[in-house]
Amino acid sequence: MKRLLSSIRDGRGFDIVLVTFPLGFLLLMAGLPLLYNVLMSFQEVDMFSLGTFWRPFVGFKNYADLFAQPETWPILGNTALFVVGSIAGQFMIGFGLALFFWVNFPGASWLRGLFLVSWVMPGLVVGAIWNWILSGDFGVLNFILRESGIISGNIFWRSDPNYSLYAVIMANIWLGTAFNMILLSVGLASIPGDLYEAAELDGANAWQRFWTITLPMMRSTIGAIIALGLIFTLQQFDLFASITSGGPNNSSNVTQYWAWDLSFRQYDFAKGATISVIMIVFVMIAAIVYVRSTRHEVRG
Amino acid sequence: MSETNRNRLMLVIAILMAAVYLFPLYWMYITALKSGSEMFATPPSFWPSQPQWDTYPFVWESRNMGRYLWNSLVIASGAVVLITVLGVGCAYVLARYRNVWVDIGLFLILMLQVLPASLMITPIFVGYSQLGMLNYPRLAVIIAIAAKSMPFFVVLVRATFMAVPQELEEAALVDGNSRVGAFFNIVLPLARNGILVSAILIFMQAFGEFVYSKSIIQAVELQPASVGLNSFMGPNTNEWNRIMAYATIYVTPILAIFVLLQRRIVSGLTSGAIK
Repeated sequence: MKRLLSSIRDGRGFDIVLVTFPLGFLLLMAGLPLLYNVLMSFQEVDMFSLGTFWRPFVGFKNYADLFAQPETWPILGNTALFVVGSIAGQFMIGFGLALFFWVNFPGASWLRGLFLVSWVMPGLVVGAIWNWILSGDFGVLNFILRESGIISGNIFWRSDPNYSLYAVIMANIWLGTAFNMILLSVGLASIPGDLYEAAELDGANAWQRFWTITLPMMRSTIGAIIALGLIFTLQQFDLFASITSGGPNNSSNVTQYWAWDLSFRQYDFAKGATISVIMIVFVMIAAIVYVRSTRHEVRG
Repeated sequence: MSETNRNRLMLVIAILMAAVYLFPLYWMYITALKSGSEMFATPPSFWPSQPQWDTYPFVWESRNMGRYLWNSLVIASGAVVLITVLGVGCAYVLARYRNVWVDIGLFLILMLQVLPASLMITPIFVGYSQLGMLNYPRLAVIIAIAAKSMPFFVVLVRATFMAVPQELEEAALVDGNSRVGAFFNIVLPLARNGILVSAILIFMQAFGEFVYSKSIIQAVELQPASVGLNSFMGPNTNEWNRIMAYATIYVTPILAIFVLLQRRIVSGLTSGAIK
């Protein structure tokens, strides 16, 4: 007993105590729900069996039912479009801004940091602001587009099924661009400057320097940022809740909103768990890509 | 073109881009000050003709914002305290050693970090209701947020600990400090700033958290401001000036903290997320 106490105070025991509690907490509160989710996706869950662990097993029935529903494939397609559109927009605008701010001028880093306010704001507030900007008759976006001659009539961003998903994508691009830019700036700053000096001596122009030095040197950063983008985009829930609620008629619904909607609006917890399991597999794959591309950092 | 002129030109372009990017924020502040009729004017006015300052006290009273913000504060503070108490030690151990167990621990933590809240809420809700935790809804939300955000905190704080030279701790051990003493007297004070910045980031996230609160907290008097804002925005609302006033009151403290600590927050964020 005494040896144990002194080990905790002054030996390996100290490390073990420090690391056991948080990891135990995480496994209990995040790992266990994950397994429970998988379990529920194979069970029949209704309001009566909600309180018990021993629900009837139904095999792959939930999965089969899910894919028999007519809205499943469109929603999966929406999710893919949302992910690809958001990441492409965030990454390209973010990269452009990062390259611009890379040219060092007084005030550059402060202004660059200011962009990050979009990222620290609560998602619900961002959604509320964009909901108002995108409003059909009185929205300021329609006004600007009309005045600049891009559109002739108002676009009903939130209630037109052809545009509702793009409305959320737009808001999400705004939300995530700053984060992309900051991380890309860090990557840019870590490229040694003498590479560019050497290339300039060899007569390479700016375009060639970008393709032969910047992009190859940024490869692992870009991989990590795309993977992080995928992870963050699949976590985006607040914008859907505050702009379109997945509507009209599921035209802007994505899996992460649908899973919640199934569980908490339609009380179909088994289906909610099933779609969650499918999406978590995708997120996990993205996470493995992310970990691999930052591995040199993880190993120190 | 001389160096100063080029710098000035770049600065002007940068300010213009920031202005375009931050326009939604400006629009929120401006809309909150407009009257009901000015808000729906065509063309929209980009500066309120008669600022309606009394929208703020009206919204504060009628929407019960004091209660909502207090709940947000309780939830965010609870989550930050829980995460800090558990996460600092974990980050320290993961920063101090390099072996296969640390790699496994980091991998597990990164995997748990990526789980989307809206997908995890189904098993969390069902599990919590079976354990009877829904009777303490704010505590349940605090625990759920802690489990969600702690990995991020650990990754950030670990980067801070990595920057503390190990020789300092070893010197303290040689001088007769115990491991506990060296940790609290030497390592922790040196890492204080990084821990503080990470805690502030977590606080800002938890202050705006929505999915867990919306699903777990049924009683209106215990709901945080994000859920309050959501119920304010009905499907066919036309009270946008009031909603924007609500959003302004909700978000301005966060923005103030961010602008004040901007440099530290940005550097703290970048050191942990990616290298």
